[in-house]
Amino acid sequence: MATIPQARLRNFSIIAHVDHGKSTLADRILELTHAIDARQMTSQVLDSMDLEREKGITIKARAVRLEYAARDGQIYGINLIDTPGHVDFSYEVSRSLQACEGAVLVVDAAQGIEAQTLANVHLALALGLVIVPVINKIDLPSAQPEVVIEELENVLAIPREEVILVSAKEGRNIDQVLEAIVERIPPPKGDPDAPLRGLIFDSHYDAYKGVVAYVRLAEGTLHQREVVRLMASGVTGEILELGVFRPQLVPVERLGPGEVGYVATGLKSVRDCQVGDTMTAAARSAGAPLPGYKQAKALVFAGIYPVNGPDYPLLRDALEKLHLNDASISYEPESSVALGFGFRCGFLGLLHMEIIQERLEREFDLDLIASAPSVEYRVELTNGRGTITVDNPSRLPGPSDIEQIGEPWVKLNIITPSTYIGTLMELATQRRGTFVTIDYLDSTRVVMRFELPLAEVIVDFFDQLKSRTKGYASMDYEEIGYRPGNLVKLDVLVNAEPVDALSLIVHRDNARSVGLSLVEKLRELIPRQMFEVPVQAAIGSNVIARETIRAMRKNVLAKCYGGDITRKRKLLEKQKEGKSRMKRVGSVEIPQEAFLAVLRTGDGG
Amino acid sequence: MAEAPALPSASTAPPPEALYLHVPFCRSICPYCDFVVVAGRAARGPGSRVGRFAEALRTEIALRADLLDRSHPDRPPLRSVYLGGGTPSLLSPAEVGATLGLVADRLGIASGAEVTLEANPGPDERGDLAGFRAAGVTRLSIGAQSLEPAELRALGRRHHPEDVAESVRAARRAGIGSIGIDLLLGIPGQDAASWRRTVEAALALGTDHLSLYHLTLDDPDEEGLTGPLGDHLPLRPGARRWRERARRLQDDDRTAELDALAEPLLAGAGFQRYEIANLARPGHASVHNRAYWERRPVLAAGPGAHAFDGIATRSWNAAPLDPWLAALRPPDGGPPALPPGDRIVLGPDEIRSEAAILGLRLSAGIGPGLTDDPVLAPVLAWGRAEGLLAAAGDRLHLTARGRLLSNELFLRLLP
Repeated sequence: MATIPQARLRNFSIIAHVDHGKSTLADRILELTHAIDARQMTSQVLDSMDLEREKGITIKARAVRLEYAARDGQIYGINLIDTPGHVDFSYEVSRSLQACEGAVLVVDAAQGIEAQTLANVHLALALGLVIVPVINKIDLPSAQPEVVIEELENVLAIPREEVILVSAKEGRNIDQVLEAIVERIPPPKGDPDAPLRGLIFDSHYDAYKGVVAYVRLAEGTLHQREVVRLMASGVTGEILELGVFRPQLVPVERLGPGEVGYVATGLKSVRDCQVGDTMTAAARSAGAPLPGYKQAKALVFAGIYPVNGPDYPLLRDALEKLHLNDASISYEPESSVALGFGFRCGFLGLLHMEIIQERLEREFDLDLIASAPSVEYRVELTNGRGTITVDNPSRLPGPSDIEQIGEPWVKLNIITPSTYIGTLMELATQRRGTFVTIDYLDSTRVVMRFELPLAEVIVDFFDQLKSRTKGYASMDYEEIGYRPGNLVKLDVLVNAEPVDALSLIVHRDNARSVGLSLVEKLRELIPRQMFEVPVQAAIGSNVIARETIRAMRKNVLAKCYGGDITRKRKLLEKQKEGKSRMKRVGSVEIPQEAFLAVLRTGDGG
Repeated sequence: MAEAPALPSASTAPPPEALYLHVPFCRSICPYCDFVVVAGRAARGPGSRVGRFAEALRTEIALRADLLDRSHPDRPPLRSVYLGGGTPSLLSPAEVGATLGLVADRLGIASGAEVTLEANPGPDERGDLAGFRAAGVTRLSIGAQSLEPAELRALGRRHHPEDVAESVRAARRAGIGSIGIDLLLGIPGQDAASWRRTVEAALALGTDHLSLYHLTLDDPDEEGLTGPLGDHLPLRPGARRWRERARRLQDDDRTAELDALAEPLLAGAGFQRYEIANLARPGHASVHNRAYWERRPVLAAGPGAHAFDGIATRSWNAAPLDPWLAALRPPDGGPPALPPGDRIVLGPDEIRSEAAILGLRLSAGIGPGLTDDPVLAPVLAWGRAEGLLAAAGDRLHLTARGRLLSNELFLRLLP
């Protein structure tokens, strides 16, 4: 590949709401720059994780190097750094944005700007990025580009003449986007002759090449065969291969400042090459490392347990490996009376939790049970004995030891068509929220701002929001600190035995209704056993709700199909398999879903 | 009963004691049925393949007898022959006679052996019972399912309750010595009153044997049984819809109550339960049925039929009729070959578990060799503690509760 001078390099991300066409636009850009042959074109080229294609979302940031012959007759090297769109992954977003000088903001011509997009644009502006505004889907009959242009002007002060109207689906005006990237976004800064400093933003393990680090160079130049050192881990290694993502890995001779590429060093362990570490030259080491990444703050906590106790070491290894790839998860060992040995894990949000659980199960072939998610509470103990943090409801001290419980609150922004103001007010109020302000974006859309306890947001607030607004509203939230709450611990007893993994911390006023719906849900989710099983919710020793799972009366295979014993055995094996995915608590077999029953109690809306 | 799960090699496999012959034709197909069945033009009229089938079935019997002549030249005659289906009573007495004649000639039928024929009760399907008796049939198994008109309609059956009574009378007149009927529990719409009427009507018929099956509506496609070498045919879309509807109307609690309700009526009429789903008056427990639960060697012929070598190998013919016919009656007139099929060979753990599960289906239960097996012991102890098993001397058998919850015990006995 030809070497392109630094002045003709451009690094950009795409900021877009889910379904606003980010992946389609990226696919078109890749086509137009011949990074990908139309024959090899699969849609969502950049979303290579199975989960990403299934869910239609981007989870991990990714980069691709393009070459674009601009109208000025020059060849430009363009790095597209893909970003996740979901609020849970704003941590990944900020990482990607840090590697760019500009961002293409994609807004759906029919839907207008959404809450998370707004949040990400603010993030980009705060980092000093140039925004290239693009309105997509102008081919739709319902497209209202004029309204959206006005919205961009009102909300983000984007001049209307800067806005590019495109249809990624039909490939219209994609060249204008590329021209704008070249014209408006500045080249990366950084002295090519300074001591080498490159930030590691991801890595993977390759059976032949060893650890492959993904780096973005801030300063200096990387050469083939150079010996590099990782400043935090202190590990050194010779570069076996150096290259860029097109999006497949393509070797190059060298990488200069602002460039994004990969470095294969033959390191055997991903652990030696942590995301956020700085790569420098062993021969001429940089004085100080790059700032690295801010540790992501976990907001949601849950216990993750192997269904089969002996899998505990496998789970520990899996978490360790996943943590190297996704530093935003935290984990520490814990044990539960009901579930045995496992880990208390911290996640960025519920979607993140769901994705981590799925990745652990798929990539490491584990059967897991997650306990009900919780936020982190601050508990002030009586008699001035200090404050402790509690992220596991079953660890909440007894009432006599608690002076006060503080819970995290968030500022919540909702963008919605104004017809749903009433129902969203009601939803936020039910969830103990307080209304702050409302502003009109245009004649039909508003931004509503609330303050709510985080615990009320993580459960199924997002689903409720979507269902109450036919999918039209979007939301974004940020933490605003702790506030005291009148909170109590709700325990669940199955067959008279407390199941610690089902304990919840709830507001005293809601305890009864949560208890009732929880035991009802558990009655549906726990299969009938050979004996009657009472399911109770209690505050301390006071039972506030009770349901009974009636005893199983029959489970018998009668017919024998002409001596077909094998089918009988297969049917029994299927039943056995079903049971093996359940957790035995006392003498009751509880399926995985039951531990997340709290997520489904909802408020009926 | 010799149940010790000793592990002799295949070369020491005993000769078959029983023969199962599968006759896959029916007048119409019932939506709940999982047997290998063909109906319509293949079963009647000018395009009927029944005649070719009967010839092919005899070819298969002859081929299997050839193999046995080599492996077990000195073997005792069969203790049981079972013509199951489908509706074997659609065969003519001449076809049945020719088939049993060949069996007697090549495999031997012991004197006093049980020779069962399954029959449907409808006037156009039960066939010539006197003719069957003359052909050598000693036992008739009648697919009554219910004696309530509404339930028979709900099941898609073609016959009426009075046809069952007429079939039993005709069988008696023909001199068939042992007569049994099948009944179903858990029919959509069935309640305590209708079930009681069915049981009382069945007892009034004076039969010798009763099979009481809980209607289970599974999906052989989902279970992966319907491939080219599978032993089941794919479910028809109509049958799948029927099952989905019926499943919603089934209620395990009610079925368990019906089961309990029948118990005293049956005992009062002199029926003894000898297996989970089978009851008989003294001397009429089915030899063939017991052969399955006692893991005795069974030879089989016909599409979808299952055989067992008495030790570890369970083999079956593939279900589809055409490939079966093509192998045995090659269209090009070439020499016949055994039909396509498949087999599994059980390992020692599977043999042990299967012996315990099948043995416990019988009222006689299991004895030393299994009861004192160290691998099974913890599960058996659990079963006793849960009231699923009871001891009698050195044997263990299912309790009344254990019979209805037997799968809970059996799945824990799997290796």
